[in-house]
Amino acid sequence: MSRLPFDPPASAPLDPEELRRGKPETAASPPEGLRRDRPTTASRGPAVPHRDDPATPVAGGPAPRTAVARPAALTVAELSARLRGLLEETFTEVWVQGEISNGRLWNSGHFYFTLKDATAQIKGVVFRSALRYLKFKPEDGLSVIARGRISVYEAKGEYQLVCEHLEPQGLGALQLAFEQLKKQLAAEGLFSDDRKRPLPALPRRIGIVTSIDGAALRDIVRVLRRRYPNAHLVIAPTRVQGEGAAADIARALRLVARIDDVDVVIVGRGGGSLEDLWAFNEEVVARAIAACPVPVISAVGHETDVTIADFAADLRAPTPSAAAELVVRQKDEFAAHIRRLAHQLRGAVAGRLRRHETRLHALLARPGMAGFEGRLAWRARHLGELTAELRHHARGVTTRRQRRLDAARRALEQFDPRHRLARVRASLLVQDGRLHGAAGRGLHRAQARFRDAAARLEGLSPLAVLGRGYAVCWDATRTRIVRDAQTVAEGDAIRVTVERGEIRARVTNTGVPHDTI
Amino acid sequence: MDPTIKDFEAAIAELEAIVKKLEDGDLPLETSLELYERGVTLSRYCHGRLEAAERRIDVLNERGEARPAPAALGLDRDDEA
Repeated sequence: MSRLPFDPPASAPLDPEELRRGKPETAASPPEGLRRDRPTTASRGPAVPHRDDPATPVAGGPAPRTAVARPAALTVAELSARLRGLLEETFTEVWVQGEISNGRLWNSGHFYFTLKDATAQIKGVVFRSALRYLKFKPEDGLSVIARGRISVYEAKGEYQLVCEHLEPQGLGALQLAFEQLKKQLAAEGLFSDDRKRPLPALPRRIGIVTSIDGAALRDIVRVLRRRYPNAHLVIAPTRVQGEGAAADIARALRLVARIDDVDVVIVGRGGGSLEDLWAFNEEVVARAIAACPVPVISAVGHETDVTIADFAADLRAPTPSAAAELVVRQKDEFAAHIRRLAHQLRGAVAGRLRRHETRLHALLARPGMAGFEGRLAWRARHLGELTAELRHHARGVTTRRQRRLDAARRALEQFDPRHRLARVRASLLVQDGRLHGAAGRGLHRAQARFRDAAARLEGLSPLAVLGRGYAVCWDATRTRIVRDAQTVAEGDAIRVTVERGEIRARVTNTGVPHDTI
Repeated sequence: MDPTIKDFEAAIAELEAIVKKLEDGDLPLETSLELYERGVTLSRYCHGRLEAAERRIDVLNERGEARPAPAALGLDRDDEA
């Protein structure tokens, strides 16, 4: 690669005075003749003077020449063609250092700009075909070294630098591209914290986007197998470096996120050079990560490698192995946690139940409840007698009467405390047994029974009223309980059941107000 | 599964909240029994989820369809060795 110096001209290049003055200053530059002969000199000799301006002497410049025979005039086209030939043949590859200004990307995909320094400028273009290979975006104010050739546009008398490549100064091209994209995406909010999604605590399926034969995949699988042996992994193979790798990574991300139950994705690769990791610094990857419907963990290279993908990801893992550690807590930890919670749950409820049980026993032991079961048994016996009596009465009466009696008997049987007692006893027994084994898995069923038992017990308590001195008043045939004084009249026979035995009586007055009882 | 349980995280969080409530609060018996039953459902769900995942490695083909990883890749070898 030849490197031609291309010192900036002091002012407009077509000014002959400038040319002459410029010459001595740059006399040491080897292809000197090529540098400054552009203007009017049709011949290729370096020292031919400007024929239109023979008499202008310049101090320190070459000696003025007197006019010689006028050669045939050239047409503009001829001159332009010669210039073109001269420039394009000479500057086939030149490296120029300058600052980009007035840069503009045309719809054609070509980038036109002016390359300038403190005192001069030259038009330049990067055609789309070359622009494609630039990692960074050329932009105004950027200091670059351009490599290219000079091209002349005869129709306009212009020449420009057709750049094959631009190399940013200061930062490397990749570094610059990184900074540019990072800045751009950050400005769009792509990296903002409120976009970061929490990882699922227990992923159903784990998507992995990486090279199918890379070390990264093996690391991830090994760690996951250790932490969560029955994990279900879905691998979306992709190239991770080289031309087209970025688009491939983006495609793999989209594919894996479509798989049912994949609710987190690891994207990454093992370590390598900046160039090796470059795909993860490309915009298309960052955007695919941001667009992924489930959280993404990036895991690119080693701890010290930071890529654009890391910024776009919901979580950055320093390495692929670390990503596998982050994606799921140790299964054992989970299992232990759940066991602990279940244990606490049972403990809390069993404690409550024991307190209630104690209260219930205390209630049963109180004087009002003492002998309760005995009284129930007596009551049952008595109901049996009543039933027998009813049957006796029923015999020989009319069918209508019979039906009424049957209904009454059924109603009475519903009150049969023996049934209730048996149920309560059974419940209490079961309850007792279950309570002691409260940790068993049937506990909640026992508790439901316990609840029923408690409720029923309360329902039964009115049966104890006879023992507390209350009585039940029946009509003469013992088919109906007298609840309302107005349903009997003076002289009617009634029967009164008390705790022990029955009284047959006759109504003497039904007009006694309630609160005098 | 139980439609009232959103996912594993939600289930664990709810279970933790229930345990805390039961241990802290002086709740009526009815309420604590209801919470307990809910807690049992949740812990069963969580345990089920832990075991539910199928030990498996799939690889997507060109069309994005999941296929079991070829044994030749040797992906599952490391931890079995």
